[in-house]
Amino acid sequence: MAVSSRDNRAGPDVLRRVGEASVLILISLADGPKHGYALIQDIKALAGVELGPGTLYGALDRLERLGLIESLPADDRRHPYRMTAPGAAALRVHLDSLERVSAAGRLRLQLGGI
Amino acid sequence: MDGPPTTRLVTTALRCYPARWRRRHGDEATELAALLIRDGSPPASVALSYLAGATREWLTPRPGRRLSAVACALLTAACSAGFLASTVPARAASTSPPPAYCRPAATAPVPDVGSAPTGQQLIIREAWDDRSC
Repeated sequence: MAVSSRDNRAGPDVLRRVGEASVLILISLADGPKHGYALIQDIKALAGVELGPGTLYGALDRLERLGLIESLPADDRRHPYRMTAPGAAALRVHLDSLERVSAAGRLRLQLGGI
Repeated sequence: MDGPPTTRLVTTALRCYPARWRRRHGDEATELAALLIRDGSPPASVALSYLAGATREWLTPRPGRRLSAVACALLTAACSAGFLASTVPARAASTSPPPAYCRPAATAPVPDVGSAPTGQQLIIREAWDDRSC
């Protein structure tokens, strides 16, 4: 099974270079809007990764600049964030790409008999 | 938060961000830090995360930002990192036992000098006692 790094039939994988934190944030926002603290808690439960608050805000700003998420009106002092339609599309493309790589890796492990 | 030193660490780190960022996220970031510290995150690690974030924020190219402002921010971040580094190890050192060579000379092993004359033995002993911490 050949996996090409340029395999982008569903559009370019814009999440390839944004870093793991941004991808985890998008995955966390896939089931609804969340604010910073809820994102940190959800990502910890989901992936076992503890995002530092500095990393979180950096990733949120980057995703917002790319138009993949948007900030909702502040609830008290907290800004909830919501995934946009382009964000959902980008996440789908990225997850598809990860799935292809993962399947190829498993197949090669099987063929290698290791 | 659990006291003024903790508040000061996080506040200092948040001050390193550009004003535009502080206007947008400042209040929420302070509240988030308080929640994370309440949940058991070490205050120094929260402050360091914000410090790293502030450095990245300044280094991210934006239209209209002057080089001198970036240099000032880096200097502030470096000073704050130095302050944090000097605070954390000092606290850690006070709880850990001293290294073997810092123990009193009476309990330290004395090298075997065998049948060496008294003068040589004295020299070895002095050299052993002269180790500093």
